[in-house]
Amino acid sequence: MEASNFTDHISRRFNKDIEDLRNTVLSMGGLVETQLSRAIAAIVSGDSELGLKVANDDYKVNNLEVDIDEECSRILATRAPAAGDLRLIVAIIKTITDLERIGDEAEKIGFLASKLAGMDRPADSYRELKNLGSHVSHMLRDAMNAFARLDVAEALEVVKEDELVDDEYDAITRQCITFMMEDPRSIKRVMNVTWAARSLERIGDHAKNICEYVIYMVEGRDVRHTDISEDLVDE
Amino acid sequence: MPGSSRKFVLGIAGILLAGGLIGWVYGHAAWGLLVAALVILVWQTRQLLSFNRAVYTRDFEQFRYGEGIWQQMFSRFNYEHERALRSKREYRRLLKEIRRSTDAMPDGAVILDEENQIVMCNKAAKQLGGLKRKKDRGQRVDNILRDPKLTKLLRTDAFAQEIEIPSPVKDEGWLNCRVVPYGANQKLLFLRDITEQIRLTKMRRDFVANASHELRSPLTVISGYLDSLSEDPDLERNWAQPVRQMQEQAQRMNTVVSELLELSRLESAGPASKDEVVDVSGLLAAAKKSYAGQKDVADIEVQSESSAQLLAAGNEIESLITNLLSNAVRHTPADGHISLTWRVDPEGGEIIVTDTGEGIPADQIPRLTERFFRVHRGRTREDGGVGLGLAIVKHVLNRHDAELSVTSDLGRGSEFCCRFPAERVVLEPPVPIVSGGKRG
Repeated sequence: MEASNFTDHISRRFNKDIEDLRNTVLSMGGLVETQLSRAIAAIVSGDSELGLKVANDDYKVNNLEVDIDEECSRILATRAPAAGDLRLIVAIIKTITDLERIGDEAEKIGFLASKLAGMDRPADSYRELKNLGSHVSHMLRDAMNAFARLDVAEALEVVKEDELVDDEYDAITRQCITFMMEDPRSIKRVMNVTWAARSLERIGDHAKNICEYVIYMVEGRDVRHTDISEDLVDE
Repeated sequence: MPGSSRKFVLGIAGILLAGGLIGWVYGHAAWGLLVAALVILVWQTRQLLSFNRAVYTRDFEQFRYGEGIWQQMFSRFNYEHERALRSKREYRRLLKEIRRSTDAMPDGAVILDEENQIVMCNKAAKQLGGLKRKKDRGQRVDNILRDPKLTKLLRTDAFAQEIEIPSPVKDEGWLNCRVVPYGANQKLLFLRDITEQIRLTKMRRDFVANASHELRSPLTVISGYLDSLSEDPDLERNWAQPVRQMQEQAQRMNTVVSELLELSRLESAGPASKDEVVDVSGLLAAAKKSYAGQKDVADIEVQSESSAQLLAAGNEIESLITNLLSNAVRHTPADGHISLTWRVDPEGGEIIVTDTGEGIPADQIPRLTERFFRVHRGRTREDGGVGLGLAIVKHVLNRHDAELSVTSDLGRGSEFCCRFPAERVVLEPPVPIVSGGKRG
């Protein structure tokens, strides 16, 4: 009853090591997802306490990254994995880097939220950030789902989503520029909004990266920096 | 040996005998036997082949050549086969029925094995948790529902606990999760959609906060004018009494509004931080002092048995003590006795307020912390209480992971005990734990 094809080794210890590793990565993903949704909630509801809490909790993500990294090196050194297992380990090492960066961006957003909470709030209470945020957290969630299920189709969906996020980010930037030109006094506040949007957009990119690692892990081909959408759908 | 088998053996022997006899009559007994054996072989082979065909095609009507033992074997086989088919059909129907009934459940149910891997889930779990029935079989459930709280819940085996996690499929949706152990090392994970519930709670909280806030400014204006009216020397004599009453009521309303605001603040805030060190004994003494010199107040005694301090929000603990004490004073006659106690044992600390007042009927005790709840419905509201004190106490305690327990003897008095967990109590170096416990 094992989910992945990574767990059919003669050594049961090895099976367990690899399963545990995968589970830890996914729980790190869950932690990062929670951090992100909290950070977005903090900005939208103007909750400076929650924002600071997110910023202070980032150390948990960092600790997990270090732990998983160490475990990966240990498996590489003691088991010398090949083929699919090797790809899994390589993909995990890369995935956790991206997850950690997402954690950092969430920390930034949380910090910005606590700053923005003390300033004037626009009437729509940052609806555009909320939309972008929910878009990005969906991407991250689907990316982690694709990782858990080794689902290339789902991973591809996320990769395609990223373009929409980029468009949305452009729209927010333009809107922010208009605000700043209209009322220079708002520059300080709007700059923070721009930073938050920028962080969200970066999170989208990291989620996309994770999906590319999933494709690499399952199919064994490197699809970074290529136009993969048509390429893989054709097959 | 069953009858059919005997018949079979006798039949074969008969043919052989007949062949042998006919051969013997013609002078070739061996040839006769051989022909008889060949006849038997052809006959049996034919039966065997058609039996095989019938089994293979499952078309038993075609098995016409069944005779003797073959007929028997055939009918036995056919009977067993049909019985197996029937019970298989029955099991399938039963399984479908169970499936259908679990699918009809509004709550999501996921069967987990000891490694927390998904064995089966129903339709609601699919919709609520975004699980995929076939694809996620054997996947650990917390790999799909990746909330740190759920991972912790599954790991700790704290089965009584319920947690709330954000819905993985619906924006701003919430799920309530519960784990129930069942069978051999298996677990059932229940998911319930509580989005609406959370929304309603939030709406109620926001409503109370907003309404109180909106009431505050008109109240300020009213009491401001009443204040200046009451000090106006030109005020007609017969107006003095109404104005004074209006002032009192405005003051009362002000208290209600600010307590409601305080309540909604406490409700929406998370657990209190542990940064502040609160001197409970000092607060108890100060609370006693605030009643000093007042008439018609029962005798108040402070028993601080420990100099340990509490990690809590100081102003909240202060309001907790004030509320409990003012309740005690209001319900205790002037010749009664009130004691305030602070004591610490290895499991935590307790603030206890005991009075010798009128007491509370046992059936009312669970409702004490409801807003605006009064033990005596008909009681005049002029004793100064607004009915929010114990609600505030409850929320302050919630924020400090503490518990309120109330014991009361009707006509003899009541005891309100606030129990704080050990991690919120700091013992000062000169006071070892044991002595505090012994004295308490």
